Amino acid sequence: MSTAYMMDYEFKMKTQNERVKVEDLFDYEGCKVGRGTYGHVYKGRRKDGSDSKDYALKQIEGTGLSMSACREIALLRELKHPNVINLIRVFLSHNDRKVWLLFDFAEHDLWHIIKFHRAAKANKKPVLVPKGMVKSLLYQILDGIHYLHSNWVLHRDLKPANILVMGEGPERGRVKIADMGFARLFNAPLKPLADLDPVVVTFWYRAPELLLGARHYTKAIDIWAIGCIFAELLTSEPIFHCRQEDIKTSNPYHHDQLDRIFNVMGFPHEKDWEDIKKMPEHPTLLKDFKKNNYVNCSLVKYMDRHKIKPDSKAFHLLQKLLLMDPNKRITSEQAMQDPYFQEEPLPTQDVFAGCPIPYPKREFLTDDDQEEKSDNKRQTQQQQQTQNNQQSQQQNQQNNQNNQQSNQDNHNTAKRVRLSAPQGHPSQVNQQQIPISQQQQEFHHQQMMYNNGQQQQQNFQQRF
Amino acid sequence: MSGNFWQSSHHQQWLLDKQDLIRERQHDLSILAEDEYQKIFIFFASVIQTLGEQLKLRQQVIATATVYFKRFYARNSLKTIDPLLLAPTCIFLASKVEEFGVISNSRLITTCQNVIKNKFSYAYTQEFPYRTNHILECEFYLLENLDCCLIVYQPYRPLLQLVQDLGHEEQLLTLAWRIVNDSLRTDVCLLYPPYQIAIGCLQIACVILQKDHKSWFAELNVDIEKIQEIARYIINLFELWKTYDEKKEIQGLLGKMPKPKAAPQR
Repeated sequence: MSTAYMMDYEFKMKTQNERVKVEDLFDYEGCKVGRGTYGHVYKGRRKDGSDSKDYALKQIEGTGLSMSACREIALLRELKHPNVINLIRVFLSHNDRKVWLLFDFAEHDLWHIIKFHRAAKANKKPVLVPKGMVKSLLYQILDGIHYLHSNWVLHRDLKPANILVMGEGPERGRVKIADMGFARLFNAPLKPLADLDPVVVTFWYRAPELLLGARHYTKAIDIWAIGCIFAELLTSEPIFHCRQEDIKTSNPYHHDQLDRIFNVMGFPHEKDWEDIKKMPEHPTLLKDFKKNNYVNCSLVKYMDRHKIKPDSKAFHLLQKLLLMDPNKRITSEQAMQDPYFQEEPLPTQDVFAGCPIPYPKREFLTDDDQEEKSDNKRQTQQQQQTQNNQQSQQQNQQNNQNNQQSNQDNHNTAKRVRLSAPQGHPSQVNQQQIPISQQQQEFHHQQMMYNNGQQQQQNFQQRF
Repeated sequence: MSGNFWQSSHHQQWLLDKQDLIRERQHDLSILAEDEYQKIFIFFASVIQTLGEQLKLRQQVIATATVYFKRFYARNSLKTIDPLLLAPTCIFLASKVEEFGVISNSRLITTCQNVIKNKFSYAYTQEFPYRTNHILECEFYLLENLDCCLIVYQPYRPLLQLVQDLGHEEQLLTLAWRIVNDSLRTDVCLLYPPYQIAIGCLQIACVILQKDHKSWFAELNVDIEKIQEIARYIINLFELWKTYDEKKEIQGLLGKMPKPKAAPQR
């Protein structure tokens, strides 16, 4: 059977002639700004000059319509909220079977913003940002997630790289939640969620119930991830940072990640999380962990080490977002009502509150970057190995704060390289190549500007 | 997305006007009588249903696939793409959107071959002619013509809520559910919002079971005229079925149906 008879020739020609091609409408050659498992992202401009705005063009990885591409298109087609990325248009390229998505261009994201602060800290050059910025960021993240949740959409992959922030322009400083490729409707699951994608949430932002084998995703899982992001904004360290060899695994149970969570939070008491007994991996948990190892651990202590006072409103809200028991975790709606947001400085629509944006614009990637990055990855793995040895030596010294912290810091830097794929960036390479010993020292001595409540406030009162 | 029908593409873009439908079908209806046209769509709704059942898909996925199919031909003549190709393509796309999981290409083609051979031999004497590459090519055309509107609201959920509100009656739910399935053989899914379709189907079920819920219906605060229009579409379908023998007629209808033409020979 020839294809001529499955489809009318005239119809085919007519639609072909009417079809607008992405390359006819947009200039984006050599303007790649992102590369990841999801595909490539380019910064583009309209060829006809009908506006001079920047656009983000995402070429979805692979050819044709994968299930995640279908879900992304299906959901984004319906979603409209100021804090959720807006899908403007879909281009289907029939010849190479590529799918392109057109979005507004977001100049920044929390991954780069946090990285910038870390680098600044390392170079002892504090960053000046409005003192309400973290609060504004959190509020808008919650607002966007509340919209998604009230439309029965779960994000399932919230992490700093997926939280975009608009640069100069009419939406300056506005949060846009992105990368809904894995998002799904959850009000009537046709299949248990865990069956669909072996791994969904990057481990650092994974809720404990997922690590213990929960079969169904919930809103509470997104809330945990938001708690992690909030903590990371406050301290500039990924709160549940953990070394990971393999990102893709079909086994949800992850010993090291749980260990890290307990090291920060303490081991969950039965009264705090009654249903923990019902978790599929609960027997493994009992076998692998001794709660006595974590008696000196608590979120209060962890955050206090990072200069966040346990009596601050920020800490109180963080604690509610990071409750171990998913049933007790706060909802996005409740969180938005929290006293933290009623206290000065109030959250602003422009998270930069009209102040100059200190962060660099996205840089263009060249095709060599990927190779560079994989070289870098190898190097990093070696570094990690060394650090792992350090870690094992230090493991019995949990009460020694300094050791523990320097250890975490090292891992952060190293790990970031490996998970940075989506936003790989030439400038990163240089920063990452700072000798570890030097980094270590600097992390000890210098706290970042915007994570240091007291100091920060004083500074901003002076400067703004 | 079930929280938000009023802002959905289904509500904003895909509740069509009866006059639009008539205009779009002008070409096909110059070749086929109106009842012949409907019989062809009844047939392909059954093809989609059977394919879906063989692939063990949920009714929700099957219904979404059927709506894709009807939306495509609401904007295009039957001659543009062979409906025998579009039907499995709709199933393929709907299963991804509704997250049933991707059906493997080979399984889809094998199922099509078996279903056409074993269940629809009265319509097709030759074996299923299409392969994976045809489905994939067709899928892009389908997505384009749907304008990427893939989330479809179905009457099943509102129906469940309505029956629950009535004081859950199993028999009533079962019958009304089946009538919703039947409604996919009419144009109601292109013309009315799903909650109205659910009410229309429930009303027919009440009549058939001789349940008097008039006062309950009166309190629903819906446009009664719309509900009656929906009921009329479905009752007309039942009337048509009384005298229609698909096994005898369908081959003739498929023969008469406008078909894709090849590139002009030079």
